[in-house]
Amino acid sequence: MATVTHQAHQPHQIHRPRRRDAALAWHQVRYEQLSFWRNPQSAFFTFVFPVVIIVIFGALFRTAGRSSYFYGVSVLQYYVPTIAAMSVLGSCYSQLAIVLATRRHDGILKRVRATPLPAWGYFLGLLAHCILVSVVDVALIIGVGRLFGVPLPTHWAAIAVTLVLAAACFCALGAAVASLIRNAEAAPAVVQLILFPLLFLSGTYLPIHSAAVNRVANVLPVRPFNQALLGPFAQHTGVNWHSLAVLAAWGAVGTLVAIWRFRWQPRPQ
Amino acid sequence: MRAQLMTPTRPAPAGPEQPAALTVTGLRKSYGSVAAVRGVSFTVRRGEIFALLGPNGAGKTTILEILEGFRTRDAGRADVLGIDPGDRASGRALRERIGLVLQDIAVEPYLTVRETVARNAGYYPAPRDVAEVIGLVGLAGQARQKVRNLSGGQKRRLDLALGLIGRPELLFLDEPTTGFDPAARREAWDVVRGLRDHGTTIVLTTHYMDEAQALADRLAVMSAGQVVAEGTPATISGRDQAQARIRFELPGGCQPEDLPLDAAMAGDGLATVETAEPTGALHVLTGWALHRGVVLAGLTVDQPSLEDIYLRLTEETGPSKGSK
Repeated sequence: MATVTHQAHQPHQIHRPRRRDAALAWHQVRYEQLSFWRNPQSAFFTFVFPVVIIVIFGALFRTAGRSSYFYGVSVLQYYVPTIAAMSVLGSCYSQLAIVLATRRHDGILKRVRATPLPAWGYFLGLLAHCILVSVVDVALIIGVGRLFGVPLPTHWAAIAVTLVLAAACFCALGAAVASLIRNAEAAPAVVQLILFPLLFLSGTYLPIHSAAVNRVANVLPVRPFNQALLGPFAQHTGVNWHSLAVLAAWGAVGTLVAIWRFRWQPRPQ
Repeated sequence: MRAQLMTPTRPAPAGPEQPAALTVTGLRKSYGSVAAVRGVSFTVRRGEIFALLGPNGAGKTTILEILEGFRTRDAGRADVLGIDPGDRASGRALRERIGLVLQDIAVEPYLTVRETVARNAGYYPAPRDVAEVIGLVGLAGQARQKVRNLSGGQKRRLDLALGLIGRPELLFLDEPTTGFDPAARREAWDVVRGLRDHGTTIVLTTHYMDEAQALADRLAVMSAGQVVAEGTPATISGRDQAQARIRFELPGGCQPEDLPLDAAMAGDGLATVETAEPTGALHVLTGWALHRGVVLAGLTVDQPSLEDIYLRLTEETGPSKGSK
């Protein structure tokens, strides 16, 4: 193999101009996408699970009409936005927490840290990826809902704003949870343990009509997201700024925890 | 892997007047109550291969991780290419100029070899050519294969490629050839020497004494968190001045007292003569044997090997603990 042939030494220091930040960010986004789409399992399950859920609900409730229990909209009009929200939680919060914990455990994060790629570049790549996957997920769920006769949403701009902000918020929370988890094998369990009670409390699976529960759920991150989607999806309202403010606050908390506690290196055995 | 390193890494060859590539002084690091590094100092010159030897737990990896910016130090000074690796604000500037090949294999499985190297190339301001580096580490035939389908040895070569792609001035290799077959090790050595000849400074750790002997311009032996010897492979710890050993089977019918020189009978039954002057001693011995009409079966002359020196140094200075 390696015969290293040599050229004459050049008598000057290598000029090392840095790549522009935008170019670096785009580079990282591209390769993060490539890694994801190359992994057939992750690509499959990320999209299949939410679609399966909405298909089951659609088959069960396609004939169910409007009811006050579902805030005056049809059952499926209620479930399309809440399942869409759940898919965003899955692809942003759950996936990111597990991916980060696993990559740290496998030493992949340490390798990233060994390169000059700044932390913001790495996380920007992940964030862009999570937003893209969320958009695809939500589009799939809207499409399936349409097949079951759910009218298309009317306030697309409000949905887009809500989606991007929520995806960023839940990515931050996913990174925060990954920072607090010590053991990669425990990551999926910890992630679900936090998520499932939240989903129930927040009315994702069944509307909650207890004022006390809602008062609590309204300051946690999931119900505000559900509410912020339900309006533009089914109730002809626009951006729900109040809910988005709660989401943004949680996103800020998650970001601070991640900055404070995130580790790149696996724990030594 | 027939490949060419088309573009020089760094200009000037090493000279004494050049600043050192790396200097550590009085470095200390403890994990809880365990002192892993206890006042280590050494200097690596630009353009040399410097090997850090020592048993598991001697503190080698801790030192590398401090120099690479992964760990903070408790005390002492460290200077890597003029940058303090403990200064987080300079982390990016430092990493643009160093390359790392770490012990464990950790590469994402679904990209191809080419994509993996191209991705990392994009992180550096002046990377080497992707195809050139892939060829250099001998993976040209696997460039389009997914990483998950590579063998263990091929993954380590990919790791080496990732360490080289940024055109580093200083390359850290932590046990770079562990798990290589003998042919692959020699190939890897050629690559490392080629890089050095191009002006890249290389700091490596290894458990293989033949590797240190073959590659290192200078080396330091560590034991229990301290440097116990430093020098060149040929001269470290007085190796070149050590007494040569002449060993042979005592001819039939002879007693040790019959020999013309003082000889000890070793445990394996061989007569052993230790001498500072092996040329003369051999002449006396072989002259005696010819005169008597006997042969000295199994005759060998050796200096203590680097491994002999290493074992003596590390046994003297502390028990080896388990892997840190």
